[in-house]
Amino acid sequence: MLAESTTAILARNEDWTGTAATEPYEAGWAREAVIFVRALKEPTGPQPRAIVEMSPDGMHWLPEGTALALPETEGGIAMARISHFGNWLRLRADFATGSGATVLVTLHLKS
Amino acid sequence: MNQTSAQADLESAMLRALRLADPALSRFDPMRRIISHDDFSRGHCGWSQLVGNYEDTLDTMLPGYAQHTSAMLSTLGHWDAGSHGGIDSSYALKIATRPRPGAQNVAIKRLTMRERCPIRFEAYVTFKPEATELRLSETDVRSFGFLFDLQGGDGDGPIDRVMPHMRFLNAMGGSHVQKWQFKSKSTDFKAIGDSNKTASHYHLAPDDWQDLPGGEQRLCYNEIATKVNWSYIRFDFDLRAMQALSFRCNDREFDVSAFEPIRIPAMKNLWCMLNFCLFAETDAAKRAFLYVDSVCVSGDF
Repeated sequence: MLAESTTAILARNEDWTGTAATEPYEAGWAREAVIFVRALKEPTGPQPRAIVEMSPDGMHWLPEGTALALPETEGGIAMARISHFGNWLRLRADFATGSGATVLVTLHLKS
Repeated sequence: MNQTSAQADLESAMLRALRLADPALSRFDPMRRIISHDDFSRGHCGWSQLVGNYEDTLDTMLPGYAQHTSAMLSTLGHWDAGSHGGIDSSYALKIATRPRPGAQNVAIKRLTMRERCPIRFEAYVTFKPEATELRLSETDVRSFGFLFDLQGGDGDGPIDRVMPHMRFLNAMGGSHVQKWQFKSKSTDFKAIGDSNKTASHYHLAPDDWQDLPGGEQRLCYNEIATKVNWSYIRFDFDLRAMQALSFRCNDREFDVSAFEPIRIPAMKNLWCMLNFCLFAETDAAKRAFLYVDSVCVSGDF
């Protein structure tokens, strides 16, 4: 049997300002995950580090421990590898006032 | 090779016996040819996100499509009772909306057709709102449903693109409605970009749903927000006449003589299209979840 694998689009062309997060995603069947973030437009202001969050139920979230620096330029891309995350995953970022980004966030899962 | 009547009878009997003896298929009642059988214990089985059309920039995508996200594989894990699981595997496909009233999400399977014949769409599904409150929440999910997106072949002459839509309107504005509806009108097409190659229409806009006559039905919702029960849906559609043939949900067979699909002029890049969609819609500022245990699509060919 080939290992299962899939790509999920967590956020597509979403304008992120303030506190922003992807919709919750269930990935309990997967042993490993990679999250990519691509800036679709020129980001404004300083770009924060986004953090990976995990959850027991898709409603209560806490940091998984992985963080990635959001791209500073249009077309820039960032990536984080994640393992041992249970089931629920999301990516969250807190932007300072005046900062923002338009992002494509993709999640790549493998069993 | 043309079958004799006796050969056809023998084949039907063998198919029926083999399928009844197969636990994975026995709960379905497929037509002669199984086109796809998805139980979501083998991945997403070709059910992907319905992405909207765009050109040059994603900003050209209609907002109805921009809200869509990827379906996921879920064990229906609940904060209070743990994983519910599927009918006979751990996983189901989960289609989740965003948490704002009227939000929708759609998963799609894209095929093309070999024959103009009756087809059958069967699925075991259930729906729930996100369990963010310790209350029944039975009116938080607005609707769930399915649609086909169909177009005949390039040699068929003047034809339409045909889109049968059916939804279970569970609730609207907090009222527990509980009835089946269909849709025969779509929104106007909007040109996407300036190349005259792409257009888009959001056919799941909230307008123009019509009641299926006799379509009131109370489904098993259960008694708290985290208890779920699977329901069976079956819809037959004739790809030659492009008309609905029958619709069933659990123990109820509905009269589809008044059912009309959306019909729009054929489009230049969609020949022989055979698409199936499942969707969820929330009525509250709370995510709505449509879970799909399994789907069987079959055809009479």
